[in-house]
Amino acid sequence: MSDWLPGGPDRSVAAYTYDWLFADRGRVQQAVIAVALAAVLGLVAAGVVAPQSNAGRLFHVLTDSSTLAATLRLSVPIAFAALGGIFAEKSGVINIGLEGLLIIAAFTGIWTTDVTGSVWYGLLGGVVASTLLAGLFAVVCIEFRADQIIAGLAVWLIALGLAPFLSSVVYGSKNTTSVDTFPTLPEMGIPFLSDAVTVPLPVVGVAPAELPFFGALFDASPPVYLMLLAVVLSWYALHRTAFGRWVEASGENPKALDTAGVSVHRVRYVAVLLSGVLAGVGGAALALGIGQFTGNGPTMVNGKGFIAIVAYLFGNYHPVGALGSTMLFAGLDATQLTLQARDVFQVPTELVRTIPYVTVIVVLALFGRTRLPSAAGEHYESGEDE
Amino acid sequence: MTQTDTAVRLEAITKRFPGVVANDEVDLPVERGSVHALLGENGAGKTTLMNVLYGLYQPNSGRIVVDGEERQFDSPRDAIDAGVGMIHQHFMLVDTMTVAENIALGNEPRKWGGLAVDREAARREVVELSERYGFDVDPDKTVAEVSVGVQQRVEILKALYRGADVLILDEPTAVLTPQEVEDLFDVLDELTDQGKTVIFITHKLGEAMQAADDITVLRDGENVGTVDADETTREELAELMVGREVVLEVESTPPSVGDTVLDVEDLSVRDDRDVPAVTDVSFAVREGEVFGVAGVDGNGQAELVEAITGLREPEAGTVEFDGEDVTDASRRERIDGGMAYIPEDRQERGLVMDFDLVENGILGSQHNAPFAAGPTIDWTAAREHAEGVVADYDVRPPNADTEAVSLSGGNQQKFIVGREFERDPRLVVATHPTRGVDIGSQEFIHDRLLELRDEGRGVFLVSSKLDEVQGLSDRLAVMHDGDVMAVVDPDEITEEELGLLMAGEYPERYEPRSERDAEGVAQ
Repeated sequence: MSDWLPGGPDRSVAAYTYDWLFADRGRVQQAVIAVALAAVLGLVAAGVVAPQSNAGRLFHVLTDSSTLAATLRLSVPIAFAALGGIFAEKSGVINIGLEGLLIIAAFTGIWTTDVTGSVWYGLLGGVVASTLLAGLFAVVCIEFRADQIIAGLAVWLIALGLAPFLSSVVYGSKNTTSVDTFPTLPEMGIPFLSDAVTVPLPVVGVAPAELPFFGALFDASPPVYLMLLAVVLSWYALHRTAFGRWVEASGENPKALDTAGVSVHRVRYVAVLLSGVLAGVGGAALALGIGQFTGNGPTMVNGKGFIAIVAYLFGNYHPVGALGSTMLFAGLDATQLTLQARDVFQVPTELVRTIPYVTVIVVLALFGRTRLPSAAGEHYESGEDE
Repeated sequence: MTQTDTAVRLEAITKRFPGVVANDEVDLPVERGSVHALLGENGAGKTTLMNVLYGLYQPNSGRIVVDGEERQFDSPRDAIDAGVGMIHQHFMLVDTMTVAENIALGNEPRKWGGLAVDREAARREVVELSERYGFDVDPDKTVAEVSVGVQQRVEILKALYRGADVLILDEPTAVLTPQEVEDLFDVLDELTDQGKTVIFITHKLGEAMQAADDITVLRDGENVGTVDADETTREELAELMVGREVVLEVESTPPSVGDTVLDVEDLSVRDDRDVPAVTDVSFAVREGEVFGVAGVDGNGQAELVEAITGLREPEAGTVEFDGEDVTDASRRERIDGGMAYIPEDRQERGLVMDFDLVENGILGSQHNAPFAAGPTIDWTAAREHAEGVVADYDVRPPNADTEAVSLSGGNQQKFIVGREFERDPRLVVATHPTRGVDIGSQEFIHDRLLELRDEGRGVFLVSSKLDEVQGLSDRLAVMHDGDVMAVVDPDEITEEELGLLMAGEYPERYEPRSERDAEGVAQ
């Protein structure tokens, strides 16, 4: 059955693709899509025809398996924070403090690992710290009706001050000592799973980890797999469970949920705590990927929590969409890093870092598909008329 | 077949809010399998009474009996469990979710040990219910995609899904087109045919007569009568609704009228839903007279007033104030020109509740002498002004530093009246100036309005209280369905004739407007 394609099974794939890209769009949108399409095709052509040109080398950087590996690694904290943000904001509580949750989890992750000697306890420690801070945020917003934006900024500022301070107290410096990092899948020695990386695929005759581009998928550290799992589970929780429906109702029309006999406060508490748990995994994984918490300036988190907000907005509150935009932003960062490392051509880091924000403005203005939950940011109290 | 037993019986329900008795010992028996209309003006206590039945409010005293059993509803959950469902005026639906998801919300059937919503089961149940009652709804569409009429059915299905036997509908027709209203009434018939009981709240007497078996009229929080819909008349209902308390003793001297101060020509106005609310209305208010507008609430009075005061853009027609065309003039230009306005909703439009009286006193005049001192405000002048209003208009407590929110309704109103009258207006537009105000303050406000008239200013008075509008007015326009039915002499017209006009029918001696001049009865 291929009648899920508009126009039925008889239409060619080309015609369908054309419609998908260009039909029912305004001129500006069509122009942007056409330019993007031309750029992609140009890169591919350059890569094939003139591998030594700048464009050709860029193509090879983009298709290199290490680029995907770096992208996945850089995606982890952003994607986890974005998933957390989706839960909170869909329930009606805008959690702008994701950055702070990442910071506190990053430090606590390192400290717990240092104390216990296990990265897994470290991960757990980060989750606990982040969830506690998210719980504080939830109480202040839900119980004491504080402004969510102000409370969220407070969460960020508290963590921004507290983490380097604690590091100074414990380690005598804003940067912690180095601890163990997460092993990659082949290093973990898990029967079958770790073996799968080295056993040749019968079809191509190479080990999966050595595949040209997607090989990176078989050679990553556990947080990357946790991230992919979390995306699927989040999607399931939001779209297939009763709780997910309550979260949506709580953010769109809390009164409807209330009159249906479900406590809006309870749903929002759970959602915000979940954002703490998820951001906690992301923050701890970020620090444990490097093995150290660095607390100078904006700390090692350095705006990833804010990019996460952009990512889920860009992904229209859909977990898969959020992962996609996260990987797009992380991919740009990874490409830029690789370009620098291989000395292809220099792109200023600062410029690349503005790309997520510029993209989100362009996309929101031109495509405008992101729709905030109607009651996001609004306090709800049962039995009060608005 | 309908059984003749009582599904719901409310006995001596009293519900007080701070300073107001919303329901005063109200009895309401509702027969099973019937449509029972709860009719009354805005603020008569209809919705409060139903919120009590639905467990949203707890009554101060009285009994709720459902299916012969006395109940206490601490929350809507309790009411739902007892088989009472309510469809609110503003739908409680989530736009982004599908019809089926909305109906099942909070009661989702589960599968896989509760881990997942059994969406097929939910959908099936919705389709079954929908077919049983002849509803035409698509369970897979999102609520945002379906019309308002369908959304209302989704709300009804939501109540039925939760096992409601008694359905309360709060002003169900307010948001519907005429065709959707007809469809809704068919749905109500279908529901009662299958043994459900329907209570519907309305202020439109025509609808009550058309759709209901029994009609209970509430006025000022009291049950003033339950009648059989087949045996009553529109006039009887209109009279019950607006009431004929003691006609106020107003020392009204004959007016000495001067020039026209407000001239409204062929004015048409649309309401928030873009439905015509006022159609082709013309009249004139002269200096030294009170021009009253009578009618059941919601017949276009609010929109008419908003168009005159500059709060709503008219669709067509002109408003002339003091000889100048002000149809497109801003609110400020009208205030500065001498148009005072006592709004219908004093807390929404009359005052800033968090401001004290000094600040509230200069609202609307903040840019004029003596309050404006360059870019800043002369607070000394503002304070003197507020203290003057407080003293002259007997506002209690007599302290200009009081925040508006802590004044009683009557004192808030006296302060607004004082502020507006102190503008030295050429015209006062007063809408329901004594609504929710104690008797003493009512008399005070009435006296001031007449004083103003005697000083040769124009007064445009809108009120749903018949005794008030009839007692104060020198000429009286009766509005129905956005139209001025007639402009009459309030001293000559009888109750019956007013009742008929308000219900949209012409008594013998008041022929249709087309044959009568919009200037109305000559003085």
